[in-house]
Amino acid sequence: MTTDTNKFVIPIGPQHPALKEPANFEFWVDGEIVTGASVRLGYVHRGIEKGAEARTWTQNLYLMERICGICSHVHATAYTLGVEKLAGVAAPPRANAIRQLMGELERIHSHMLWLGVAAHEGGFDSLFMYSWRDRETVMDLLEKISGNKVHYSANLLGGVKFDITPELAAEIHKGLDFLEERNKFYLKVITTDETFIGRTRGIGTMTTEKAEFLGAIGPTARASGIARDIRVDAPYLIYDQFPVKVMTHTSGDLHGRFIVRINETFESIRVIREILDHLPGGELTTRVPRRIPAGEAVSRVEAPRGELLYFVASNGSEKPERVKVRTPSLCNWSTVLSLAIGLKLADMPMLLSGIDPCFSCNDRSVGLKSANQDPQIWSWEKLRQYGIEYYR
Amino acid sequence: MSVGTMISDLLRSLFTKPATELYPYVKTPAPLRLRGKLMWDPARCAGCQLCIKDCPSNAIELIVIDKVNKRFIMRYHADRCTYCAQCVESCRFNCLGMSNKDWEMAAVKKQPFEIYYGKEEDIALFMEQAAKPGTDQSCPPE
Amino acid sequence: MNLPLHPILVLLIFPGGLFLIASGLVYQWADRKLVARFQNRIGPRFIQPLADTIKLLAKEEIMPEGVHKGLFITLPIIALAAALTAGLYVPLFGFQPASSFRGDLILALYALSVLTLAMGLAGANTISSFSLVGATRTLTQLFSYEAPFLLSLLGPAIAAGTWQISEINTYAGQNLWLMIAQPIGFVVAMVGLMGKLELPPFDAPEAETEIVAGAMTEYSGRGYALFRLGKDVELVIGLTLVSAFYLGGLGNPLEFVIKTLALLLVLALLQTAFARLRIDQTVGLWWRAGALLAIIQLIAIVLGRNLGSIF
Repeated sequence: MTTDTNKFVIPIGPQHPALKEPANFEFWVDGEIVTGASVRLGYVHRGIEKGAEARTWTQNLYLMERICGICSHVHATAYTLGVEKLAGVAAPPRANAIRQLMGELERIHSHMLWLGVAAHEGGFDSLFMYSWRDRETVMDLLEKISGNKVHYSANLLGGVKFDITPELAAEIHKGLDFLEERNKFYLKVITTDETFIGRTRGIGTMTTEKAEFLGAIGPTARASGIARDIRVDAPYLIYDQFPVKVMTHTSGDLHGRFIVRINETFESIRVIREILDHLPGGELTTRVPRRIPAGEAVSRVEAPRGELLYFVASNGSEKPERVKVRTPSLCNWSTVLSLAIGLKLADMPMLLSGIDPCFSCNDRSVGLKSANQDPQIWSWEKLRQYGIEYYR
Repeated sequence: MSVGTMISDLLRSLFTKPATELYPYVKTPAPLRLRGKLMWDPARCAGCQLCIKDCPSNAIELIVIDKVNKRFIMRYHADRCTYCAQCVESCRFNCLGMSNKDWEMAAVKKQPFEIYYGKEEDIALFMEQAAKPGTDQSCPPE
Repeated sequence: MNLPLHPILVLLIFPGGLFLIASGLVYQWADRKLVARFQNRIGPRFIQPLADTIKLLAKEEIMPEGVHKGLFITLPIIALAAALTAGLYVPLFGFQPASSFRGDLILALYALSVLTLAMGLAGANTISSFSLVGATRTLTQLFSYEAPFLLSLLGPAIAAGTWQISEINTYAGQNLWLMIAQPIGFVVAMVGLMGKLELPPFDAPEAETEIVAGAMTEYSGRGYALFRLGKDVELVIGLTLVSAFYLGGLGNPLEFVIKTLALLLVLALLQTAFARLRIDQTVGLWWRAGALLAIIQLIAIVLGRNLGSIF
């Protein structure tokens, strides 16, 4: 994108109260109306994919967990599923059930966190404080199950670390009852409060076609009426035994994204209850060899923000040859940039947070500056040549 | 359609206790499974070093005093530890565990994070040797 | 109640000057504490506003590039001075105003507007884009709430038949509470006060998630402290005015404390109950609803008076 010195630019980030994570957005405004937007990521590139190549399969489990603090379990699950596929091992059903249970608890926690953040961006601090207060319930549950509030480290290669005892199940049931009641209240607030609706309804409306065209995924796409959810389309773990319903909304605006996420929370609560009532018995772990047979595997899971894809390649040693992660946040940026134009500056923070961005997941792309005419089009040979010269 | 849907909750909060935890003054007990400081039981350790191999952050070192008589010291770097409990899972002799009481380990210096486990006379012996230059017997992590 | 004090003391120490600033800090604390309690938090300790102010006063003041230095330094002083001046004409702590003349209501209100104007100018003085947008919003909001707020305070003035604050105060104390007699005017005055103080949900001019601190973004040390003090003083004066006019007048310090704190409680509840309005929504609300309601109230009062004199 070109920069015009005559344009009045509002920079948001990398240090800005609206974003608690570093990224740089530039909004060109005409009065209060946004006429252009650009994004610059890459402030928190940590080289995790490269780092994974220097660690053993087991050590990587914890490295992958640390890609994201909010959806740590989902990253570890995706990685574990990939490695187990390579090793030709299947985790016992009870382990898969516990993985799914943790994943759904994590989804509740992530969506409630998002609800608070989005409300804060819209200046509704009370909703922010209350939803985060109630989020403590699910975080306490996760801590009681796993021993840690953020990085649960539930996964092992070939199983899980801990069991769900009947006492814990009872506590989870109690916590879920509270969360369900509170989320019903929040649903009521966001669907009836006039000031909140004034800030969300009709803001950043994305049609189904546009969402398809821009490659939106996760709740952002589902709010535009695209019924796409890995948990249903390509069931992993035991989502085929305990299926979830895809929550969609047709409005496509910010309001729809709020409703979709809260409805997903209800759906998670329902699935967790079902799993707790029909927890399969058996072992928690199976043996996975230290050396993983050579090969390649792709695993896909549904993170709270959308589809999470892991590509794991092994050369038969104790360490992976390559781990490639594609996180959902990166796929949704184009929707923000194209929807921003024409909206008011005041809507920008909510629009940004509307896709539930996770910045530390983002920073893995390589920007290429070119000397040739069209910077968008690269032939394979040219790209290869560029790569060779760049790394020489 | 209404305005101020949250008012009932807001008013209720005025007459109830704040949800804020008064942490340093009022301490709530940690859950049973909390993963706190790593604990090592020297009596059962066979010195297989699996925990060291699997540790994602190189937080544990095993110092061999006498391999035949199974005299080891464990040097645990609490500041490197990510509290993932992989070492606890990896240990075949159940000599590692994570405390659910000892978890308030903040310190302003680096020194308190270097924790030695083992028989007291072994640690004393090791410290004596470490004081002399050029006789560091600690095994390199991996 | 009249104070047997030397005018200089009245001006500088009590109830104007230092004491007004101190009470501004106390009211700021009360406001923050109440908001925190409504949000189920603990909130700051009572020393916090004072500590903030001292810290800011002691801090190095960074002069950003591209500002007019004279304006940058004088605007905070003008802002605080204007707020303190307005304090001379209102019945602070239930005492008679330090100074009073016919039509001082208009002066007091515009002294408060000078504060907002100074903040807008301070924002426009810098070249920071956050400040410029903040300044635009501050001034836009000034033009939108000013008319309805003035109209809503005009209601009691017309009812009392005078433009002198002390006389309206006396009138309000002797008659039925104007909150009951002129309910629409009271509602408009309350919401107008929130707009004037840029409290949520009317805090678009300083919406932190959009434009950091709005017009104040480039201020760091002393200037920012003075602006904040001005705001605190404005809060006390605004509360005094509305409770003197609509809550049956302020006759003594006890009445002052009870009435203004009751008003603050309602203000804090309103602050927490809504999502922030966009600046266009704010302007729309004020001109479509606020001004209209205030005018209806005025017409009703005028009609009531005239009809009353006919019958």
